[in-house]
Amino acid sequence: MKPQVPRTLQGLAGTLLAELAPRIADDYAQKNAAVVAGLLLVAAEEWDRAAERRVAEHAALRRLFAEVAPRVESAPLRERMEEAARGRDPGLRISLLDQENARLRGLLIELHEHLEGQPGDAARALEERVWAELRAEVERRAIGFWPL
Amino acid sequence: MHELADRFARYAAHRMPEAREVRASALARIHGGASRETFRLRLHWREGGRERERGLILRRDPPASLIETERSHEFRAYQAFHPSDVPVPEPLWLEEDPRWLERPFFVMEQVERCESALRALGEPPYAEHRERLGRRKWEILGAIARSDPQQLGLALERDLPDPAACWERELARWEEVVDADALGPEPVVRAAIRWLRRQPPPPAERVGVVHGDYRSGNFLFDAEGRIRAILDWEMWHLGDPLEDLGWSLNPLWSWPDRKLAGRLLPREEAIAVWEAASGLRATAEAIRWWEIFAIVKSLAIWISSAREYADGRSGDPTLALVGWVIKGVQDRIALEALGRWR
Repeated sequence: MKPQVPRTLQGLAGTLLAELAPRIADDYAQKNAAVVAGLLLVAAEEWDRAAERRVAEHAALRRLFAEVAPRVESAPLRERMEEAARGRDPGLRISLLDQENARLRGLLIELHEHLEGQPGDAARALEERVWAELRAEVERRAIGFWPL
Repeated sequence: MHELADRFARYAAHRMPEAREVRASALARIHGGASRETFRLRLHWREGGRERERGLILRRDPPASLIETERSHEFRAYQAFHPSDVPVPEPLWLEEDPRWLERPFFVMEQVERCESALRALGEPPYAEHRERLGRRKWEILGAIARSDPQQLGLALERDLPDPAACWERELARWEEVVDADALGPEPVVRAAIRWLRRQPPPPAERVGVVHGDYRSGNFLFDAEGRIRAILDWEMWHLGDPLEDLGWSLNPLWSWPDRKLAGRLLPREEAIAVWEAASGLRATAEAIRWWEIFAIVKSLAIWISSAREYADGRSGDPTLALVGWVIKGVQDRIALEALGRWR
């Protein structure tokens, strides 16, 4: 076994903050080192969950599209949502997942805008499903580290 | 740094023909202010048989930045407000010729023995002056709102936007930034932009100078609780003064506890101080619109900073950090402001 990536990044951040940064005489460079340490902590937090977060988000978006599509009045948008709902992730590489993420979230924006233009309680209820997904997206991406 | 100090000293000698033995010392880059490279230094010279010395700030264009504006634009604001009841450092020289320091720059007075960091507002010896600093912060913003851009030489009458069109112009400007720089779809900021378009604010009560980045962290304060200088004018423009008020109230500047606007005053008190100082009203409808606009503008800046770093146009790690961390918090703040968080 070897040290896991998050532990390694956290250790590097600690070394940078506790051992290296205090020995940097230049104030600008010292503060930049602290920012780099912060980024290492963020990367540590993100690394372990990166694939899971994307896969979970895609599943949530596909469920949303499958549920809402039958009630979308625009036929072209409905067909694209149905197609997206049937989709599968192309692999587990983050770069591949990000391409799929962009496709699905682009469609979410279109759906949201479409629903906002529709009158009636049914459209409002569907719109609330979109807001719920936006809340979930923000929570999935939340990072514990705060720099200010 | 020594080479930059020597080159700056040669430039200063060129600008001060009466000065002899001009040299620069203690040149050091200041962290923050990602839109321009900012340095402090001390300039020494002999003049009229006497040794002279002055602390200066050098703001040099970077290869890439969070906010791309002409340095002359920012310099004009310092010239316009110095001296006035809006405290700013004395602007000294604007230089567009890259032969001196490779890139254009401007120079201003260094306001000494001051702090600007957001975190310092909660620490001794500044924390005990929070209320005083807060009242002064929004009084000064009221003075900016009250100022006459034509009298200040910042605008001709024809430059003044239609009071009913201020919101649209600014929203279009920042939406274009999102369009150009987003690394992927951004459903939250898009929803906020649509909300802003669906319910425009009332026309501006008056068109005035908008600082564009008026917040805790962008002014210098001292240990006696005085605000000594308002900084970072690179995004100033003409518009609805409520834009600055909305920006100053962004919960991001008091995250995560959010008890005090800008970590200084309760939100309602800040608005009341601003209204008294500006002579303008911040109706609930208007200020809500401008607060949500401020969140959109802020998101556009964070999105843009992430793009700069991702494209390799800047190696400043702060740009990556705001893209990773601050943008996510700002998304949450957007949902809260739209009444969609819980």
